[in-house]
Amino acid sequence: MTSPTRPPAVLYDIRYSRFTGQLRPRVYAVLALARSSALGALGVRRSTGAKIWPFLLVVVAYAPAVVAVGIPLLVPDNDEFTEPLDFVSYYELLALIATPLLAYVATTIPSLLTRDRRDRVLTLYFSTALSAWEYVLGKVIAALLLILLVTLGPLLVLLIGGALVSDSPIDYVGDHAADLPKVVLAGVLLALFHAGWGLAIGSLTPRRVFAVGGYLGVMLVASTLGGAVASISNSDAFLAFVLPIVPIDMTASFLDTPEGNVTAPQGLLWAVWLVVVLGAAAVLWRRYRGGRES
Amino acid sequence: MAVLDTPALECVGVSKSFGRAGSRGGVQALSEVTVTVRAAATGLLGANGAGKSTLMKVALGLTPPDSGTVRVLGIDAAADRDAVRRRVGYMPEHNCLPTEMSAQDMCVHIAQLRGLNRRDARRRTSEVLFAVGLEEERRRAIGTYSLGMRQRAKLAQALVHGPDLVVLDEPTSGLDPAGRREMLSIVRRLSHELGIRVLVSSHVLEDIEQTCDEVVVLRSGRLAAQQPVEPAARVGPVALRVTGDLGAFAGLLNARGVPTYPTQQGDIGIAVGDQTTLTLVRDLAAEQGIGILRLADEGDRLEEAVIDAMSSDRATDGARP
Repeated sequence: MTSPTRPPAVLYDIRYSRFTGQLRPRVYAVLALARSSALGALGVRRSTGAKIWPFLLVVVAYAPAVVAVGIPLLVPDNDEFTEPLDFVSYYELLALIATPLLAYVATTIPSLLTRDRRDRVLTLYFSTALSAWEYVLGKVIAALLLILLVTLGPLLVLLIGGALVSDSPIDYVGDHAADLPKVVLAGVLLALFHAGWGLAIGSLTPRRVFAVGGYLGVMLVASTLGGAVASISNSDAFLAFVLPIVPIDMTASFLDTPEGNVTAPQGLLWAVWLVVVLGAAAVLWRRYRGGRES
Repeated sequence: MAVLDTPALECVGVSKSFGRAGSRGGVQALSEVTVTVRAAATGLLGANGAGKSTLMKVALGLTPPDSGTVRVLGIDAAADRDAVRRRVGYMPEHNCLPTEMSAQDMCVHIAQLRGLNRRDARRRTSEVLFAVGLEEERRRAIGTYSLGMRQRAKLAQALVHGPDLVVLDEPTSGLDPAGRREMLSIVRRLSHELGIRVLVSSHVLEDIEQTCDEVVVLRSGRLAAQQPVEPAARVGPVALRVTGDLGAFAGLLNARGVPTYPTQQGDIGIAVGDQTTLTLVRDLAAEQGIGILRLADEGDRLEEAVIDAMSSDRATDGARP
């Protein structure tokens, strides 16, 4: 039985009508672009095949942290591992995910820009209220979110998981409260470094394969040469050219590191990091300054 | 012709060149173009390379002019590009759709970039996809669409935020006859049923005639002509061919006060072909049991005017204000 004041069914007129609502400020457009780009890079609302590789790498990146959190639960009476950080430190966790991070960034970040250039979508974007700089900002936010997912995310799993599996979570949080800004800083350092380089390479070509090759090629060639020269010359300074571990070694200045850990001098590491990040910013500025469509 | 108060587009002395104009490889795409577009639907006509797309991009702020001022819907396109783009929809000529997205996701995405919240964006997307006839295929990836469907998807994204003016760059480009007919019908509907101002470019006069109230002709980056698509009632000469004896029928017309002359094709030429004369011709033919084989306007039609404008040695800037 239907209510006498309410019709049993409503017919909606779905024919075209003029929009009379209020348009939102452009910052929402930037955030919408970032959200759509990040989800697209993960394969969300795309084919199943597009989801497999990025999500597989996300799982690989989280695996060490999840295992570390799980050990105290599975082996509660183990004196050697009373908390996840006994199993793997933040620094060691970052070192463990360095390789899957490279594959993940190569898979997701350059394509944030190459796909738009391949499909020539920039004409559409720039005909909206979005400016070229807002477009780049949206893509940078998307890239940072994507990388933070696999850098900051596992670190937070380790931190929060440690509290959850601890016998006294409140004491644990009190003891490790200072860890939060450190892990956030570590995640941001990695995210800026890889996002910058990945986007810079992606902005230079519409072909994804070239962008991925460029990103991995420079990273691996520099690493090989830097490692070889460091070994031959017996100078740690050349480790600053092993690009994938540059932002990770930078965290050695504020995260606990294993005994005997060798890194390049911190000043040199920061210099290389700055060169990469600022260089990437310069490439993006040059590429998009005129709002060119292709 | 529907003429509205606020011009859809006002250009004053707009010039744009790519590369160094005059040098090898340099192109003067627009040269001192001054034009005011007031009609509900205006066609931008010209050969390939005449400057149609450049004028559209300048109006949208996608390409800054070298000189001159452009106002769109009364808004300075250079000073307030944001406001212009929020009130204007643009359908580019070339393929520009994200191939891995569905039409639905793409329209929602573009609507959000244009300032709509997600709920409104989804509702508007349903409306525009229904309006352009893509509601059944809205969830398919655009990469699997036919060319006609892609054109509709491009049109849908241009309409999704409810623009006051929609700029369509060669909307029928590459379409088969059926797809072209449907697209023209949609474009016509925009201005005549939905109240959206339309600026559409084409190099096919027939497309403009079917969809627009006014035509602006560009030639080599200059304004060559601007005139209504449907001019005042014709009174010019017509050519008449009937069954039976042409001379006898011409004599009957002369007896009824209609002067005639033989045309080069051997038809009956009627110098003053106004509505009264044409009615008289029809009634006389019926009265005599004679069939009319051909009744053709021999006057200075739009096509001739456009061809004249596009082929004249000197394009003029003295078009109708």
